[in-house]
Amino acid sequence: MNLNSDKFRALWVALISVFLGLVAGAILMALTGHNPFEGYTYLFQGGLMNIERIGNTLATSTALFLTGISVAFAFKTGLFNIGASGQMLMGGLFATAIGLTWDLPKPILLPIILIASIIGGGLWALIPGLLKAKFNVHEVVATIMMNWIAYWTINYTIPAYFKGEYLETESRIIGNNASLRVEWLTDLFNGSYINLGFFIAVAVIIIIAIVLDKTVLGFTLKAVGFNKESAKYSGMNVNKSIILSMMIAGGLAGLGGATFYLGYSSNIQIGVLPAQGFDGIAVALLGANNPYGALAAAVFFGLLHSGKGFMNAMTDVPPEIGDTIIATIIYFAATSLLIHKFLDKITAFFKGGLKK
Amino acid sequence: MKNLFKVMVIVTVASLLFVSCSKKTEPTAMAEEKKVALKVGMVTDAGTIDDKSFNQGTWEGILKAGDELGVTVKYLKPVGTTEADYLKEIGNLYDAGYKFIVTPGFKFETTIFKAQDKYADAKFVIIDGTPHNADYSEFRAEKNVISIFFAEHESGFMAGVAAALELKDGKFGFIGGMEIPAVQKFNWGFQQGIIYANENFGTTINLDAENIIYQGTFSDVAAGQQLAAQMFDKGVSAIFCAAGGVGVGAINEAKSRAQAGEEKWIIGVDVDQYSEGIYEGEKSIILTSAMKRIDVAAYDMIAEDLKGAFQGGATLTFNAANNGVGIPAKNPNLSADVTSKVAKVYADVQNGTVVVSAEQGSLIK
Repeated sequence: MNLNSDKFRALWVALISVFLGLVAGAILMALTGHNPFEGYTYLFQGGLMNIERIGNTLATSTALFLTGISVAFAFKTGLFNIGASGQMLMGGLFATAIGLTWDLPKPILLPIILIASIIGGGLWALIPGLLKAKFNVHEVVATIMMNWIAYWTINYTIPAYFKGEYLETESRIIGNNASLRVEWLTDLFNGSYINLGFFIAVAVIIIIAIVLDKTVLGFTLKAVGFNKESAKYSGMNVNKSIILSMMIAGGLAGLGGATFYLGYSSNIQIGVLPAQGFDGIAVALLGANNPYGALAAAVFFGLLHSGKGFMNAMTDVPPEIGDTIIATIIYFAATSLLIHKFLDKITAFFKGGLKK
Repeated sequence: MKNLFKVMVIVTVASLLFVSCSKKTEPTAMAEEKKVALKVGMVTDAGTIDDKSFNQGTWEGILKAGDELGVTVKYLKPVGTTEADYLKEIGNLYDAGYKFIVTPGFKFETTIFKAQDKYADAKFVIIDGTPHNADYSEFRAEKNVISIFFAEHESGFMAGVAAALELKDGKFGFIGGMEIPAVQKFNWGFQQGIIYANENFGTTINLDAENIIYQGTFSDVAAGQQLAAQMFDKGVSAIFCAAGGVGVGAINEAKSRAQAGEEKWIIGVDVDQYSEGIYEGEKSIILTSAMKRIDVAAYDMIAEDLKGAFQGGATLTFNAANNGVGIPAKNPNLSADVTSKVAKVYADVQNGTVVVSAEQGSLIK
């Protein structure tokens, strides 16, 4: 194995980020008068202690896989997709709408729902893609604005058409035939929230990895992301690539919405911009935009989110500090670029030393 | 380069130092004596623990039980507001030994429905709700669940009487959050209170249909401010807000009017909101508050359980008769005369001489 390869380097950066994040979290716990070792023990126990908790950790990670891979895919093709939250919402809306309207057997309904969620997220990302391709409107601005348009669209659509019987703020609960939860899986994990979404997410990550690395399409998209001008010079359709990249990224986040609203949850709520969309950015950064890296990063964040409650229950660490610790770790993960530079300097230092 | 190294070294050393310094504070001997085995947990609803409403009220009751009865207390804040998130936190509390769990708000209904079977040896108290399954086809409370409801109409009634007595004439308004039973009952009780004051104490308060509005959310602060501004412009002098965050907007509007010298009032809800309405020194635009003593309810349930009198499976109603609803003990904006009159009316409601209806009847909305 080549120790200086990019992938090896990315792994190191990720591990250092996580370590620094944990150290920062430990300092925070110590500053507020709690024992960090105890805290972390319960944090990890909370996520892994028994089969039900492992299932819940994976269930929490599922939407993060998909938003993470969405952001990572966009990064790979030179785009910054901050709109995963909105795309999740639209994917969730499309999925919920079909789930609540059509009464079909589960094996037929589920594929339709999943495809609808991909279309929902994809369409939502098409607009920023078009704006970027045609008018060079920066996708960061466009996707953030699309987040809020999605938020208010849900705020109007759900109470108007899919309102719960008594709850104004939530849609009706979807039927069992539209749910990604299946009995054998729930039983296998002892009543956990793990659902088919997890396996779909893993399959999607493998597909994306293959598309990016082994296909002409993937090569084209990456080439456009790497250097637009040279891609154009070598005869690639740059505009088409940008639009397609955004749509694929949006579709992935939309699928994440389906797994979240019809798997982890069983209806869609208004007034919430899902945090998974933003956490997806951290997942992509920590995973170094590599599909499998994103998978690992998502499991890690899922573990933190899932174990936090148990840490709070077992120690005197207040829930707000628990949130802050997780945020700190995410922050360090997001600043992995600094660690990259730091490692560069170390390598340069040693190389320089050897030359002398 | 060197600086980065320095920073890292400092961080590492500092963390080690703090680790060694952080010792658990030893509980005092006094507290030790009073310690009992019961561990009481709470899962918060959407919003923070200091939301001046359900979460805070419940937690204050639990904290009081911690102080006076010596139970160990803890609250957990779920990551989201889905049933999965709620159940996960209940599981966390349960696994950590908290077998008495209080959940504030109707959003926990389906969660408790599942939890009562899954954690059969734990006890649950659900406030403002009763356990049922997802499609409302089955309502069931096992022997380990108490559902608590409040007589909001009696609370609204008392606030209506007090406000009418204090201001004597003019126009009142009502802003509700969502049109759900708890909020509607506040509104109907408030209307009856004004009618009662007009008939029995000679006040001339008008509550027009156009000034009774359900905003539709509990969170839209801006809309609350707008609605309040419109009502104030139409000559309304006091607005009763049973609307969560929407009410916060109305309070803000009243504060800025008060600072500009206008005399505009808000009647608070759920808890004593006096401190929310302070705009200058000690002066507040909160005339009085229609309270639900959520803290009393939470405390009482814990106290009863310690005595071995947990009324599992029961649905309890907190009303004036058991001091579960009413206006605050101290109302700096009410005159002594009004306070004594209101106390008499409250006593009449308590002994049943005055009956407040929980139904709409001929009332507005």
